[in-house]
Amino acid sequence: MNIDDWKSQIKRGTLEFCILIMIRKQPSYGYEIISTLEKYPIVAAKENTIYPLLRRLLKEEYISSSWQESTEGLPPRKYYSITDKGLEYIAAMSVEWENLLSAINKIKGE
Amino acid sequence: MEKVLNEYLEKMEKYLRPIAVSERVDIIKEIKSEMQELQSNDIPAEQIIERLGNPKDLAKAYLGDLLSKESRFSWNRFLVVCAFYSLVGFSGMVVIPSLAIIAPTFIICGIMSPVLAAVKMIDYIFALGIPYVENIGIFLGGIVTFNPIVEFIISLVIGVLLCWTGRGVWKLLVLYCKKIGKTVSNLSI
Repeated sequence: MNIDDWKSQIKRGTLEFCILIMIRKQPSYGYEIISTLEKYPIVAAKENTIYPLLRRLLKEEYISSSWQESTEGLPPRKYYSITDKGLEYIAAMSVEWENLLSAINKIKGE
Repeated sequence: MEKVLNEYLEKMEKYLRPIAVSERVDIIKEIKSEMQELQSNDIPAEQIIERLGNPKDLAKAYLGDLLSKESRFSWNRFLVVCAFYSLVGFSGMVVIPSLAIIAPTFIICGIMSPVLAAVKMIDYIFALGIPYVENIGIFLGGIVTFNPIVEFIISLVIGVLLCWTGRGVWKLLVLYCKKIGKTVSNLSI
């Protein structure tokens, strides 16, 4: 049984969705996103996955970014926030997600 | 910042060279920000580096996206272009001159053979006694000798065949040049 392989495939497919939802809730910075995801092993990912993914989302204009100075002693942080295009994307993804869940439930029920 | 962390960032910057300067600076700044964040949480430099992984791998993760999407300069591309021109340069040295010589030679021979045979035939019919005409003709080692009229017909057939071959070779040359031109434009250099 190779459950890890399957898990990594799920992660690949849903990480984008998770990050966008997180950013929609409130503007966040890279490390914050990574450490939040770390709490949930199924979607936990390292810097080398999250940062390039954020950059791609930025290029595709689902999110925007701005550097903000933080309180003393802390470094400036790059905050990501959701765009209108990103909200549309999340809405479309949510529909498909519900489709998937209901499909699985119906298949199980039969 | 500690030396090891600065070294890490320097290494990353080196590997990120294919990315535009402004973006590169931004990437480094973001990683540096995380390093400082972790440091302020009292995490030692060694652990920070362990967490981020090999600087080359982290940089590659950024580059992976770039390579598949944008066609900037890359060594692979450079090698493909080099290989293409070495091959074309070498084949061009042999193929183009050979074809360029063969094609007109075949055509000229194709025209000359019936013309000369015609001269011999005219000489034979009108008994003109043109000098050296005995050197013209189809010679098969003295086994068979043809009548000059028959010779003219045979040489006409041979002439057509030679011209036809010459034309084919010429077409091949044109095709070769066109093909190279097309490949060059595909490589978009």
